[in-house]
Amino acid sequence: MQRRTFMKGCVALGASSVILPQVSILEASEPKSKTRIFFVKNSYNLKHENKNGLTKLWVPLPQETSYQKVSDFKFSSNATSAYVTDKNAYKARTLYAEWKNGGEKVLEVTYTITTNERNADLSKATASTKYPKDVAHYLKPTAHIPTSGKVKELALKITAEAKTPLDKAKAIYAWVTENMYRDNAVVGCGVGDAGKAIEQNIMGGKCTDISSVFVALMRSVGIPAREIFGIRLGSSRYSKACGSSDENGLAKITGGEHCRAEFYLDGAGWVPCDPADVAKVILTEKMTLNDPLIKEVREYFFGNWEMNWMGYNTARDFVLAPTPAQKPLNMFGYPYGEVEDEVLDYYAPAAFTYSFVSQEKL
Amino acid sequence: MKIGLFLLLPLMLFANEEVVIKVARMHCPMCTTAVKKALKSVDGVQNAKVTLETKLAVVVAKDGIEDKIYLDAVKTTGYEGVMVSRKHLKE
Repeated sequence: MQRRTFMKGCVALGASSVILPQVSILEASEPKSKTRIFFVKNSYNLKHENKNGLTKLWVPLPQETSYQKVSDFKFSSNATSAYVTDKNAYKARTLYAEWKNGGEKVLEVTYTITTNERNADLSKATASTKYPKDVAHYLKPTAHIPTSGKVKELALKITAEAKTPLDKAKAIYAWVTENMYRDNAVVGCGVGDAGKAIEQNIMGGKCTDISSVFVALMRSVGIPAREIFGIRLGSSRYSKACGSSDENGLAKITGGEHCRAEFYLDGAGWVPCDPADVAKVILTEKMTLNDPLIKEVREYFFGNWEMNWMGYNTARDFVLAPTPAQKPLNMFGYPYGEVEDEVLDYYAPAAFTYSFVSQEKL
Repeated sequence: MKIGLFLLLPLMLFANEEVVIKVARMHCPMCTTAVKKALKSVDGVQNAKVTLETKLAVVVAKDGIEDKIYLDAVKTTGYEGVMVSRKHLKE
């Protein structure tokens, strides 16, 4: 067996000149409340059938924002090379590792993440639709987020009575949470093909499917919106559907990837919401929109995020760096790997292989 | 003439061809893995390379596999394939 030298890395994610901070002024004005601290460990041991040649791995890392801060970031690996980069169209933070030869391919990533609950102040929202350039970027369509044709037609119908951007956002959120449902048969978080969902009336899906329809409808009526891909870290005060851990705060979070959404209102900034978790709580708790818990959750997830979750990035239909054999990547909520240019199944952690754990500081 | 054909028969039986199939609805890297696996499961296929950027599957296989067999294999992944080209490969 070939012996490799382990490399170790330690990057201050918030301070590195390589990584640009992604905090907007408007996010920063949100009140600090309900702080939670989680220690996260990602372990990789890559395998792929009979192939053992050039192996490449791209790991999504948490973004640095006003509501989540990363500290003590470290990695160790027997990779030929490994480094942190955000050189892609969405500045999605990525740990890239590459193994040139056969043998064991291991990587361990650890960090502490401190989160603060997000509570948007919607009373500050204005009716202005003049957006900063970096925000206006999230009005553009992508391959999976079309903003014309039937998508726009539906969005205009839903918002026909709405006057302000906030009214429109409320109408679209109400429509999505009324009409879409969680389908556990969907693999992973779902593809998030909003065009197909609306054209073919596929209302069942998982978090990326539901969030992508919400985002496409919002963009279609001129409201900047985006998905945020991330992972659950610990227990939820609402339902185990939204996150869980044992009595000591330990959570096995492999497979806990979850996509949320945000939209932008002048005056209020980026507003958090999570229509997909409304659908998940309905299914898990065997309830309807009329049950008190669902009413509470539905109201809460329009403007608030319980921060037992962390966000990685808002990237869709983009190209990772360094450039993989297959491109573009639909979304970057899972680790992405290639062995001799063959794609590893990121929906199958046991075959990939990877595992994630989170320990909350109680 | 007959002798000539007889001598060429083994080459004709074992000749290969390159088949190109468009799978336009592939939308993510995992789709390429599924399509590749499906095509490689076809008896006689030696190699398949599937590229998301071009939405093309390039298959190297023994001569004479019908279009329908390839397209049915692609269909098992949930996508429709369209034959683009077939060409004999030189020995």
